[in-house]
Amino acid sequence: MRLSMTVHKSFGAFTLDTDFSVLGQKVGIFGTSGSGKSTLVSMLAGLVKPDSGEIALDGKCLFSSAKRINLRPEQRRIAMVFQQHSLFPHLNVKNNLLYGFKRCLPEHRSIDFDTLVDALKLEGLLGRDVTNLSGGEKQRVALGRAILANPRLLLMDEPLSALDDSLRFQIIPYLKSVSEQFGIPYLFISHSLLEMRLMADQVLNVAGGRIIGCSTAEELARQRLGSSQVGYINLLVLGTPCMLGTLYAYPWGASRLLLSVGSERDSSMAELSSKDIILFKQHPEAISARNLLDCTVRSLFSSGRKVGVELDCTGNTLIAEVVQDAVNELSITPGSTIYAAVKASAFRMLPG
Amino acid sequence: MFLADSDFQSIWLTIKLASSVTFILLILGTPVAWWLARSQSRLKGVIGAVVALPLVLPPSVLGFYMLLAMGPGGPMGYLTRTLGIGALPFTFWGLVLASVFYSLPFMVQPLQNAFESIGDRPLEVAASLGASPLDAFFTVALPLARPGFLTASILTFAHTVGEFGVVLMIGGNIPGVSRVASVQIYDHVEALEYAQAHHMAAVMLIFSFLVLLALYAWRPNALKMARRD
Repeated sequence: MRLSMTVHKSFGAFTLDTDFSVLGQKVGIFGTSGSGKSTLVSMLAGLVKPDSGEIALDGKCLFSSAKRINLRPEQRRIAMVFQQHSLFPHLNVKNNLLYGFKRCLPEHRSIDFDTLVDALKLEGLLGRDVTNLSGGEKQRVALGRAILANPRLLLMDEPLSALDDSLRFQIIPYLKSVSEQFGIPYLFISHSLLEMRLMADQVLNVAGGRIIGCSTAEELARQRLGSSQVGYINLLVLGTPCMLGTLYAYPWGASRLLLSVGSERDSSMAELSSKDIILFKQHPEAISARNLLDCTVRSLFSSGRKVGVELDCTGNTLIAEVVQDAVNELSITPGSTIYAAVKASAFRMLPG
Repeated sequence: MFLADSDFQSIWLTIKLASSVTFILLILGTPVAWWLARSQSRLKGVIGAVVALPLVLPPSVLGFYMLLAMGPGGPMGYLTRTLGIGALPFTFWGLVLASVFYSLPFMVQPLQNAFESIGDRPLEVAASLGASPLDAFFTVALPLARPGFLTASILTFAHTVGEFGVVLMIGGNIPGVSRVASVQIYDHVEALEYAQAHHMAAVMLIFSFLVLLALYAWRPNALKMARRD
């Protein structure tokens, strides 16, 4: 997908001015509430008309104030998945799924209904009334309906915001895999940096109605380490645990982590904030933290008043944060060895 | 039989009038309600006020102006004469036309509320899935507004059944042409035929009660919704 947007739009005191071009299959638009990201995608979908500018997708002009072009939403082939599932309550699951499919020109129909139903595990739901579905099922149907419209771009406007954590992490694999399987690029809109890291390869950062940066989600997370209240969230892929006393011992690459929470699933993902990692220059004599990791400093980066320290823990990466004084006192430099202490209770298991 | 043939004739005429008016208003009122629900036009307030006028105007006022408009010197009278239809006052179709105006808010306002309550999102979703505005109207808006259609139809039918002032002004009191149930009751009372008046009134009372009972049982807030504006 190659998308370029140079648009201007005023809503009372709020002005949205963007000028960007992006190339990729999984693009994120990140910003806080009121930053203008939803307006941006509404203009792209044709639901809001820009005051002026130009929008082009894969070389096709969708809007141009100079050329007086403004394709109607139904002519753009841009499907949307919203925060609220927005399924049609008067249609059952099957007819919701087929709504866009029936309106798609035969030459654009490349996605097979049964294959999609299988991919989203919707077989058992087809005859059901949509009002009787769970939140996660509704969002899967909404995703399937959008994909079956055979769009050239899928817009996902905070599709996970209305779901609780458990459902959110159940849906994310579907969002990613279905788009990959059927070759449909997407624009994922969210105010959650964690969702961005899980969903997007590159991220447009929106603030005050302007695009203030374009980077990978990882780079954005590092940039925001100093200003974020939760710090940088390390996402750790863990192996199958075993019990060690009252703690769960999880394999983590070549290392082992002791966690006070866990489950006996084959593999899990856990969150660890950069704020919950304490660095020691020398091996501490006695420490209450159950995890003491022998690390090498890979690099340092500044973020506001904080310094992020990228650690290599026997092949795994961990980001810790410290203040500049700590960097000086501990002589933290790339290549130096250091110990990272983490309490067993500092981890949060991600559902899924 | 406790009802006379003339009573049955007036009841049949009332049902015919109310059905015709409801059908015509379903066709005419739907686009008006849709426009009022969706439009950002400055004229929206003016059109909304015109639609609501019969709610506050005395029926005799509306009937008087309708009579003038349909009369030989009025624009509608001129039009019907030109089209070869002839004069409408004191005919069944003149009565239908006047009733359409008189019952307009009872059709338009519940429909407008129903369309407004759908919101933009379902229509935006339909558009993003390739539906044209007309397609989205028929496949999304109309089915979602179905409860509003039922409420509006019942209210319009019931309101037309209860008409009196406009009927007298436009239709007069011609048996089989414009003597509807409410006028028949008035005639019975004027002739001091209280027993017949009682029978007719009871039929009207039971009918009205059953209509409202059905409406409330099906949708407790229907009347509140209809009168919200």
